[in-house]
Amino acid sequence: MNSAGYQLFMSAMFKGQKGERPPTGTPTSIACHDLMDATGVSFPDAHLNASAMAELALGGHEIIGFDTVMPEFSVDQEVAALGADVDWGDRNMMPDTKSFLYEDFSDIAIPDNFMEEPSMRVLLDALTILRRHVGGSAAVIGKAMGPWTLSYHMAGTQNFLLQIGLGETDKVRKMVEQLMPVTIASVNAQFQAGADVVVVADHATGNLISPIHYAELLLPYHKELTRQIDGPTILHVCGNCTDRLHHFCEAGFNAYHFEWQVDAREAVEIVADKMVLIGNVNNPQVLLQGTPEDVYNQARYAIDAGVEIIGPECAIPLKTPLENLKAIVAAVQEGY
Amino acid sequence: MSQHINKIQQAIVVGHHKEIEALVQSALDDEIAPELIVNAAMIPGMDAVGQKFSTGEIFVPEMLASAVTMNKGLDLLKPILQQGNSETKGTIIVCTVKGDLHDIGKNLVVMMLEGAGFEVIDMGVDINVENLIDKVKEIKPDVLGLSALLTTTLPEMAKVIESLKAHRVRDQVKVMIGGAPVDEAFSEKIGADAYGKDAAEAVQIARQLIAG
Ligand code: B12
Ligand SMILES: [Zn+2]
Repeated sequence: MNSAGYQLFMSAMFKGQKGERPPTGTPTSIACHDLMDATGVSFPDAHLNASAMAELALGGHEIIGFDTVMPEFSVDQEVAALGADVDWGDRNMMPDTKSFLYEDFSDIAIPDNFMEEPSMRVLLDALTILRRHVGGSAAVIGKAMGPWTLSYHMAGTQNFLLQIGLGETDKVRKMVEQLMPVTIASVNAQFQAGADVVVVADHATGNLISPIHYAELLLPYHKELTRQIDGPTILHVCGNCTDRLHHFCEAGFNAYHFEWQVDAREAVEIVADKMVLIGNVNNPQVLLQGTPEDVYNQARYAIDAGVEIIGPECAIPLKTPLENLKAIVAAVQEGY
Repeated sequence: MSQHINKIQQAIVVGHHKEIEALVQSALDDEIAPELIVNAAMIPGMDAVGQKFSTGEIFVPEMLASAVTMNKGLDLLKPILQQGNSETKGTIIVCTVKGDLHDIGKNLVVMMLEGAGFEVIDMGVDINVENLIDKVKEIKPDVLGLSALLTTTLPEMAKVIESLKAHRVRDQVKVMIGGAPVDEAFSEKIGADAYGKDAAEAVQIARQLIAG
């Protein structure tokens, strides 16, 4: 097999033939100050303007050397299109949703043309630009929020979680169900715009809910979601999810993007041939505060454990130094 | 009597928010002292909840439900307790630092501290240093609790401590810090008095810091 990053990544996504080295990739944000300086693009432009968005994402491939490009740096593109008030932040601050439209769990009105709202249009256009630039040499990854994370944004995270605690599971199911079409439309539009793969971020993490609640309240919707999506997908749930990996395996995603808190060896053992694993170099201690050598060691640990695609565990901290990101690329250059 | 105490404690542990009021009322009807309900049923109940959360037996939704249950029960007792001016265990200001909007962890800390009988002033999220210092000067709390969930907002904690020093109030208040990216080493580095890994630990630390 040709050793272009695109082929290595796509082959790994299907547990196909292995090339000379493991692919690198990150389905979550690669935005950091060093990369902003190197590309001349900053926040909030990179959330609001398609060419700025594509430019910053491209830096992940051209400057750092990753085999993927992923242009959505926030978690707010869909909720903005649904009408939430989003503060797009600045160079030092990630965007945030200022208002919760459905705190009362009333029926959710999804605008017919929400994919044409500016925040979605920007993302779709950025994907198309990226495809023109790197198609065939790096994989283009799209990103959509799953119905669970969208619910956090609609009801407020704590309010949503409280309803689970109070046993109001009908309310919870209804909200998740109503938001399913948003995720499905977003994912499908991103494929059409040029994404090779789309990541679905849905934070049913061990830091927030029990594995039982994942299985009862979200797994059925994840199964439905993956039935309605034709292209290859990655599930992203950060935090410690060791206790629910076996459930994730049933959901129908091709791959799972995971954190260092989940031991790579254990993950490979549980997931076996049911999903591809992407990750899981630690962000706060290692990529942000560690040395290139620390990064290298974690990347090699993941490779040795059998993780197929190597990259950061989640959206990287804004102050992450470029040399640490490049250490991931150096680690895969040594091959298997 | 221990019947009532057990039932109230149990209702808090499992978050039976619909039953708590009736249970507390029936305890009051049987002339059980409100102080006793708080100290023998509610506080140990929330302590047990904190322990279960620490060990991963329960998660955030269950803990929130317990806190709601506790608060409903407390609402019945507050008017009676205030008449008898029952003493508080100390005053604590808690907030999430500037630039950071994560508040679930902070709220759990507040709920547990309240559950443990402290007077808690919750300033909310995204609190800038100046406002915080003003509040500290005004309230003179025993403890200041700071929460941060973002690596980008961690430096704010150091700023708060520096500013407490600059305003010459650092020695009047103990500072405890927490949040997922915080650890013991960071706490020592910036000169905080203590780091707590979760809401149950926040209570223990506050008790220790106030005891001196
Ligand atoms: C829920 C959540 C959100 C919600 C917050 C809702 C809310 N009202 O709080 C929303 C969706 C709004 C959100 C937004 C963002 N988030 Co967020 N979020 C999370 C998530 C999934 C869970 C955090 C949580 O509530 N944990 C549960 C609580 C109970 O735990 P805890 O906060 O750690 O608190 C416990 C202890 O730490 C301790 N504690 C906490 N405070 C204190 C204080 C004291 C004094 C003591 C003693 C103890 C203590 O006790 C608590 C209870 O036991 C985490 C990922 C994860 N898996 O953990 C990301 C995470 C924290 N978020 C992250 C990011 C990047 C963001 C955004 C920038 C995303 C974006 N827009 O692109 C924004 C930032 C907004 C802002 N300016 O703050 C990153 C942070 C990365 C980093 N380390 O810098 C994380 C780690 C995800 C990730 N892996 O990338 N997020
Ligand atoms: Zn994440």
